[in-house]
Amino acid sequence: MRILSFKELPSTNEKAKALARKKIVPWLVLSAKEQTAGYGKKKVFWFSPKGGLYFSIILPKSQIEDLQTLTILAAFIVAKTLKDNFSLEPLIKLPNDVLLNGKKICGILTENVIGEEVKSSVIGIGLNTNIDKFPKELENTATSLKIELGKKVDNEKILKEIIQGLKKQLATISD
Amino acid sequence: MKIKIKEKVYDIEISETGEGKVKIMVNGKEFIFGEEEKEKISVAQTTLPKRDFSKKEIRAPVAGTVSKIFVKEGEFTKKNQKILILSAMKMENEIISENDSRVKEIRVKENQQVYADDILLVLE
Repeated sequence: MRILSFKELPSTNEKAKALARKKIVPWLVLSAKEQTAGYGKKKVFWFSPKGGLYFSIILPKSQIEDLQTLTILAAFIVAKTLKDNFSLEPLIKLPNDVLLNGKKICGILTENVIGEEVKSSVIGIGLNTNIDKFPKELENTATSLKIELGKKVDNEKILKEIIQGLKKQLATISD
Repeated sequence: MKIKIKEKVYDIEISETGEGKVKIMVNGKEFIFGEEEKEKISVAQTTLPKRDFSKKEIRAPVAGTVSKIFVKEGEFTKKNQKILILSAMKMENEIISENDSRVKEIRVKENQQVYADDILLVLE
């Protein structure tokens, strides 16, 4: 598992897309301790302070249908990781939001570049792990593992489990 | 015949050469126009950069919503240029041009929902 760790990035997805434009290195992971311009669908801002887990994976070239399935399965993998490690009961709000106690804890965004075929794909995951506090406008809709558990969690361990899970899932749905 | 342009006077003489060409003398300098000029123009036109103008449609790879269109009808696009963003579930699909081409027709609008395989744009 190759992980490039950055202290800070504007967005791990943007960085992964830029790398994938030059060369596809399947399963190369880019993680950042902090994102200054993290985003979700339609470029909606994703609160990404230090403490959270933010990473993007350059995916192997796949069929568009498999990528769609993988994106949905990513929510199940994150939920399973949280349940197995912390005995939490996360709720998956389809297609792929993960909620804890009715508040969002994880966001997932896949970005593809498509010509006559899929040229490149990256999947980005933002998981609110060790975030102490959210700004006022988010505190009713977002939560973190630290807030829910009252203790710090191991970001690296969670990261590796999620990547392994995604790898396994893609192998089962794709040729 | 004399023609005055601004403050300068030009002595101009126009005559036919008898070979379908026209000779114009300006202050003693000779300019010949006719079929040769036509040929020169056609040569110039054929030396324009070649483009692949074969008709091509860009279709939706999956069902979704057209969230952003980056081109306009009539615009020339280059290979790998961003054409539009198609949002589907939690996937943002950046649709790019595969060749140098021209956008002949845009069949969708921003925020329009499309089905898989719907024609989004026609290129030529």
